[in-house]
Amino acid sequence: MRPTRVLAVTRKTLSALRHDPRTVALMLLAPIMAMLIFGFAFGSETKHVPVLVVNEDQGPLAGQLVSQLDHVALDLSNATDLAAARDDVREGRAVAVLHFPAGFSAGASSGGAHLDLLLDTTNSQLSGAVVREMAAAAQRLLQSRGAPLPVTTDVTYAHPEAKDARFIDSFVPGIMAFAVTLFTTLLTLLAFVGERTTGTLDRLRVTPATEAEIVLGYEIAFGVIAAVQATLLLAVAILLYHVLVVGPVLVAALLVILTAIDAQAIGILISAAAQREGQAVQMIPFIILPVFLLSGIFVPVETLPSWLRPLSYLLPPTWAIQGLRDVMLRGWGLEHVWLHVAVLLGFALLFTLLAIAGLRRSRAA
Amino acid sequence: MSFIQARGEAGAVADAVVFEDVVKAYGKFHALDGLAFRVREGEMYGLLGPNGAGKTTAIRILAGLQRATSGRVEVLGRKPSDPEVRPLVGYMPQETALYLDLTVRENLDLFGSLYGMSREARAKRIDDLLEFVELTRWADELITKLSGGMKHRASLAAALLPKPRLLVLDEPTVGVDPELRAGFWQRFERMGREGTTILLTTHYMDEARRCARVGLMRRGRLLAEGSPAEIMAAAGVDNLEDAFLRLAGRGAEA
Repeated sequence: MRPTRVLAVTRKTLSALRHDPRTVALMLLAPIMAMLIFGFAFGSETKHVPVLVVNEDQGPLAGQLVSQLDHVALDLSNATDLAAARDDVREGRAVAVLHFPAGFSAGASSGGAHLDLLLDTTNSQLSGAVVREMAAAAQRLLQSRGAPLPVTTDVTYAHPEAKDARFIDSFVPGIMAFAVTLFTTLLTLLAFVGERTTGTLDRLRVTPATEAEIVLGYEIAFGVIAAVQATLLLAVAILLYHVLVVGPVLVAALLVILTAIDAQAIGILISAAAQREGQAVQMIPFIILPVFLLSGIFVPVETLPSWLRPLSYLLPPTWAIQGLRDVMLRGWGLEHVWLHVAVLLGFALLFTLLAIAGLRRSRAA
Repeated sequence: MSFIQARGEAGAVADAVVFEDVVKAYGKFHALDGLAFRVREGEMYGLLGPNGAGKTTAIRILAGLQRATSGRVEVLGRKPSDPEVRPLVGYMPQETALYLDLTVRENLDLFGSLYGMSREARAKRIDDLLEFVELTRWADELITKLSGGMKHRASLAAALLPKPRLLVLDEPTVGVDPELRAGFWQRFERMGREGTTILLTTHYMDEARRCARVGLMRRGRLLAEGSPAEIMAAAGVDNLEDAFLRLAGRGAEA
């Protein structure tokens, strides 16, 4: 063992970095990005949860309770039509309806005020925030009043089969979309960089095969792989963790397959920017971390700052995850999630066309 | 600068390849700088030159993988980008360019399907090709398991799949042992006798003697073109390497 030889190897490894600014950027930026994103995701309180308030109370108590609610955690709107408000919750436009009947204040002074809460439990982070906030608000009101506050809450569930939904139930859809996106993008990226570096792409090009045929051929293959992955993910989730699957499993599978097709086309697009497999792998954190943060896997999209939210909707996984939650937890079928399917198909078409165009352009060079 | 013209029958045979004043520019750098040559149908033509002369660029433009910046390129009477030309041209690149995770047969099967061959036609053609390149015993081995020479033979087989009229080979014998190199030349000569036009690039001057005509390339253009005998005579030497050096020297002075 000679220290000089050891250090020679150390020197060479560090020198190599000098000639590779991309890797250096990765080494410096990736941990910062990871810390920022994970810190935000795991550290932030759930915010902006949309809650509708139907206040029919003839006294002041309801208003007082509402004013104690944290307006940052909950995004409160007043509504007058109770039936319409309940529909909003069932359709996913709000997480809860807080209904104070006419006799709320009167009931408080005569020993029993009660309010109704219609709660959408399909996202336990959001519904949990509502319940926590209400308890906290009641506590704050109690302290400011000094007098006892006999309020009971009648809870009904917008989606009864999901009334005991746990965190894992709304997390699994996120993980399914994330896993499929990550693996498919990575595999396609590596495959296409490989095609370029080994020269097989050129051999494909001297045959009558068109770029469109090549891309579509890949898409079908990855669609099949995604279907298998989705099956395995669901099987483990259901059998081991007893995850809820209320709606049609085939629609869930369709969403996963479309996610894979989107990821695959993106993989082909990005492959043009990498000359070696090593470079392609370097790009992965920069793709995956933003997706993790923005598509609602861990941080509900509602919680994101308003300037960031539009970016979420530009990401295919966001739509897939919401669609999967709707199917698995709300029990919705194709008639309800058609929009998500359509958006994913639209992305698939767009990215496929871009991938084909990108391949054609590199031939015209 | 002297330029030697080939003396042959004018206009008797069609041109398989035409390069006329072809320029390929990457910014200010000209990989091809007014390249002009013709390959007649049925002949074996060698593009000779050192590395960096532009041989591979010319080949890639011919195969439709890149586009010339300016000038005229014709392959079997058509533009290289014309889809009709694809099944008529066989292309063997410098790298193996075969799928390492597939067997020889699977590779050939894939490319055969892309050429539109039916399953029976494919199977027969693949068996014939495997015999031609003597890889029958290794047909079901992964490419990654083959030796360098075997990979080369598999690559040649892939280029020959569509029974091309024009075979374009980019440095087919680089890094190949003498025995295999002799074997390759036997096969090229046999195909030439059967009427296939062969255009190959090489920097092995001694090999080029086997070609009917050669074009000496340097810095993106031709220094000289003609049969090996004509070029050697004109340069006053008895081998192509010296001929090249002489002509390159003269070229530098001009």
